[in-house]
Amino acid sequence: MASAPFKAQLTDLLNSMFAMDFLDEQFKELQMLEEASGPGFLTEVVTLFCGDAERIISQLDALLNEPAVDFGKVDANVHQLKGSSSSVGAKRVALVCIKFRNVCQENDKEGCIAALHEIRHEFDELRKKFQTMLQLEQQIQDLDSK
Amino acid sequence: MASSQVVKVLIVEDDIVTRRIYRTMLSRFGFEVTEAEDGKKAINHFVDGNEYDLVLMDKEMPKMDGVEATRTLRGMGIPVKIVAITGDEHSRGAFLDAGADEFLLKPLSILALTDILKAFNFLN
Repeated sequence: MASAPFKAQLTDLLNSMFAMDFLDEQFKELQMLEEASGPGFLTEVVTLFCGDAERIISQLDALLNEPAVDFGKVDANVHQLKGSSSSVGAKRVALVCIKFRNVCQENDKEGCIAALHEIRHEFDELRKKFQTMLQLEQQIQDLDSK
Repeated sequence: MASSQVVKVLIVEDDIVTRRIYRTMLSRFGFEVTEAEDGKKAINHFVDGNEYDLVLMDKEMPKMDGVEATRTLRGMGIPVKIVAITGDEHSRGAFLDAGADEFLLKPLSILALTDILKAFNFLN
């Protein structure tokens, strides 16, 4: 079957994402949901997550560039990112969000800026892998439907 | 139960990704799903005369948090089943005191949700 090499690549990619803690068990829940509800669900959720995370990270950047930082708003945004990353199984992003909330609650601006850089790094790495995952899934779907 | 045969669920959650996941979990059972992005909007759904069989209630939300929303619904005499779903394990007592029926920790698993739905007799 023409899609076999792409399926192998996808399996390898996902295995490495789990092994490197980019993803945790919650992502497997989403994979089970897709099996039950039909193709497209994972694509939609991953796309939603990436868009929402990008928005929140930009918002955090703006908030931390204010002369007087509103740590309450920063915390609320980090909390939201932690929630969505936990819901999709984005383990490393969620863990950095926990660190971020801790420094935010101490009103530590420098700590928050460092945590934001770390979140940006982790999210960028994850997003690249998600993009590869979605491209492979699309290729598989296109080949299997022929 | 709300007046029709279909189980009606209100998801009260400020995160769009989490709402989407819950919607898919619930839609598998043929439930009718409505969403509210904060506690105040959730209250307004009931004030507008809508009836639900089940509320999935987040804790930290803008405008009105889940504990306050739960307390407000009970104060209004709304008997709907309320399941608190939050990452804050320390809020269990507050939610139950406010009148929630059950408390689950995020992230929500299909199994945990199914168990709750069975316990409430929403699944055959």
